[in-house]
Amino acid sequence: MSASRDIVEAAAVPAGAAAASAHPPRWRAGWLNSSRGLGLILLMPALVLVVLFFLMPVVLTGVFAFTNMSTATGISGGTYQVTPGALRELADRHGMDELAEKLGQPSFVVDEQGLKALEEMGIEPAIIADLREGHLGETHASRREFERMLRDLPERPDTRTVKRISGEFSRSLANSRFSSRESLLAAAEGVDPELTEEEKTALVQATYTGWVWTADNFRRMASSRDTVRILLNTIFFVATTLIIFNTAFAMLLAITTHYIPERPAGIFRIIWFLPRISPAVIYVLLWKWFAWDTGFLSAFLDNFGIRPRNWMLDTAANAWFFVIVINGFVGASMGMVIFSSAIKAIPESLFHAASVDGAYRWQQVRHIILPQLKWPILFVTCYQTLSLLTSIEQTLLATDGGPGGATEIWSLAIYHTALNNYAGNLQYGYGAAMALVLVVIGIVLSLIYLRVFNYRALVAKPRIEL
Amino acid sequence: MRILLDHFSKSFGSVRVIDDMTLEIKDGEMLALLGPSGCGKSTTLFAICGIHKVTSGRILFGDRDVTNVSSQERNVGVVFQSYALYPHMTVRENIAFPLRIRSLPEAEIKRLVNEMAGLVHIGSLLDRRPAELSGGQQQRVALARALVRRPNVLLLDEPLANLDAKLRLEMRSEIRRIQLETGITAILVTHDQVEAMSMCDRIAIMNNGQIIQIATPQEMYRNPRTAFVAGFLGNPPIAFIDAVARDGMLAVENADIRLPIPREADRVPEGTPVVVGIRPENLGTEGDAAIRGRVSFIETQGRENLYDITLANGKVLRSIQRVRDDVSLHDEVEWRVRSDQLFLFAQNGERL
Repeated sequence: MSASRDIVEAAAVPAGAAAASAHPPRWRAGWLNSSRGLGLILLMPALVLVVLFFLMPVVLTGVFAFTNMSTATGISGGTYQVTPGALRELADRHGMDELAEKLGQPSFVVDEQGLKALEEMGIEPAIIADLREGHLGETHASRREFERMLRDLPERPDTRTVKRISGEFSRSLANSRFSSRESLLAAAEGVDPELTEEEKTALVQATYTGWVWTADNFRRMASSRDTVRILLNTIFFVATTLIIFNTAFAMLLAITTHYIPERPAGIFRIIWFLPRISPAVIYVLLWKWFAWDTGFLSAFLDNFGIRPRNWMLDTAANAWFFVIVINGFVGASMGMVIFSSAIKAIPESLFHAASVDGAYRWQQVRHIILPQLKWPILFVTCYQTLSLLTSIEQTLLATDGGPGGATEIWSLAIYHTALNNYAGNLQYGYGAAMALVLVVIGIVLSLIYLRVFNYRALVAKPRIEL
Repeated sequence: MRILLDHFSKSFGSVRVIDDMTLEIKDGEMLALLGPSGCGKSTTLFAICGIHKVTSGRILFGDRDVTNVSSQERNVGVVFQSYALYPHMTVRENIAFPLRIRSLPEAEIKRLVNEMAGLVHIGSLLDRRPAELSGGQQQRVALARALVRRPNVLLLDEPLANLDAKLRLEMRSEIRRIQLETGITAILVTHDQVEAMSMCDRIAIMNNGQIIQIATPQEMYRNPRTAFVAGFLGNPPIAFIDAVARDGMLAVENADIRLPIPREADRVPEGTPVVVGIRPENLGTEGDAAIRGRVSFIETQGRENLYDITLANGKVLRSIQRVRDDVSLHDEVEWRVRSDQLFLFAQNGERL
């Protein structure tokens, strides 16, 4: 009571002040009173979150899909490293065997560059002069050979000096690392001064350790036999779970609960809701306990002389059974709730009318309930297709794609490629490309559904009035 | 077909909604179940069509006991208050639905649907959906769907409640016409006494789960059994004033009004408190008793005016008369009433 009076009094003060200053009081905070300005401010936190946690990941996925990023390349830049692997690539992929061999072999070349370096190091000028006059342009295949030549110089440099000198003339690139393209090419030209442009490009490509832009991910995906297998797994998983559980079984539950009294119906619905509301880890763990070789199922069947085994991962068929049932029970509850409320929205008098018209329950289901549930069925089908396509946690926890990749579905394959695999080389780029393909599949499927179910007619304002 | 409710009772949980009702509807008759909301008239209707199971008693269609027959097998036609048309079916499919369920041959269905559409005048609407029809058209479709299976009885649950005033007038006579043309036994559930009186052969007036009186509309209006019946029928409604029998006359307390005791009333002992009912059309210029009061309100109805007369004791009587120029608001008037048109009730509402 007193609080509201305070507000009234507070409001009265600026009004009085306004009368004195001849300015309307609202003028000062005008932007706060316009719904556009205030709305934008109130929306801001949501916008920031949407950008950070939705738009950014989507955009980054699109970006990563066109790179070869992996654990090996890192996600920042790289260096140029002449590894045996890089040389092999140069030979195999670019057909430059000669260059690879040249670069890989240790070689010691007496050149002006080396001589200059010696001068700067303060080596005796006589030694330098000897080298320049007698040996300029010579190439030695090994350090030992080169150092023998040095020791045989007229000046007879001691061993320590020989080592210091030989280092300056080493022109091998094997296992050396360069921070930039220019230094790599300069060093390569030291070995082979007659490098062509083509050879330079190939060398740079082969030795670079960082990530690069590429469309190879998609080429690889299109040609890989794994892709086909995973795709078929995914189609089987989504279609089976969707049809058997998310729509048909959900509809069965909804219709059953419609015809039984309210209280048991409520209890029944809550029981079927448990898989959805319990944490995925606990829910799947219960299934694992149920199916383990020391679990309930094995213990029970043991009484009938059936060998205990891990029923979930025993065979591919078993694994599929459990994956579909585990996911299906989670999905069925949503369809049940949506169908139930849709059935409830059908006026009671329609069921009365159908009863006196002679329709028994199954005829009421066929002629009254189902025709009026077109829109909820579309919604559940569409929504569940997309969520099954991207669902991962239950399958990951239950079978992790096993046994032997039998239940590896697309989303799980993305996870395994990009975030967790045995080889340890996480292929972010390839994973992102797979994710991008999944997004495209989702969009295409949604469009098809909307077309098939005539979405526009369904969302049109209902014209029935009672 | 004759319908008989034989000592029918219906309880919901511990609440007894209908208590030992016996009601006979004659073959080809249209009977109104009239009463205020909550009096049990819809419950009775739902029991007749089999949606509610009866708690005790019997329901007979002709000589057949249908008490335990499911609604699907009773063959009753029902027009619901909301019409309950199937929104996803066309008018044709709606009307054909009861026949399809019975698996009649397609040609027969077509013939019957067309015949029925002709009867209720919706032949041109057969391919529309219910949402594309007006309220009156929906009503006709609901009637056609109820009648197409040739039901044992036609039940109408407040069929006119959702229509506007003009359509209500039209559908009132339409429903009666169709009922008479088909000769079907019909039960009309309504809370509107005008509907009941204008459409039905007989009225069963209900209150608190019991039938108070069954009679033809005219008889019930002229000769109400209780004050409740008298108060329910007639528009504008009857007015009641308290009086005491004194010296062979009825004296209205604190109002200096003395009315003769109506002839058909039983002898009223001296000093008995009674309730006198006076219908508005009976208070006016003719009669053998005088009533003095002040005009406290005038409602113009066009052809007639409705006058409220406040008596000296503050009670209000109503009078409906031709429009008169000689009476204006706040005038003191002395109008007349015929003693044989007074209704006399005991304090408990029973007619004396």
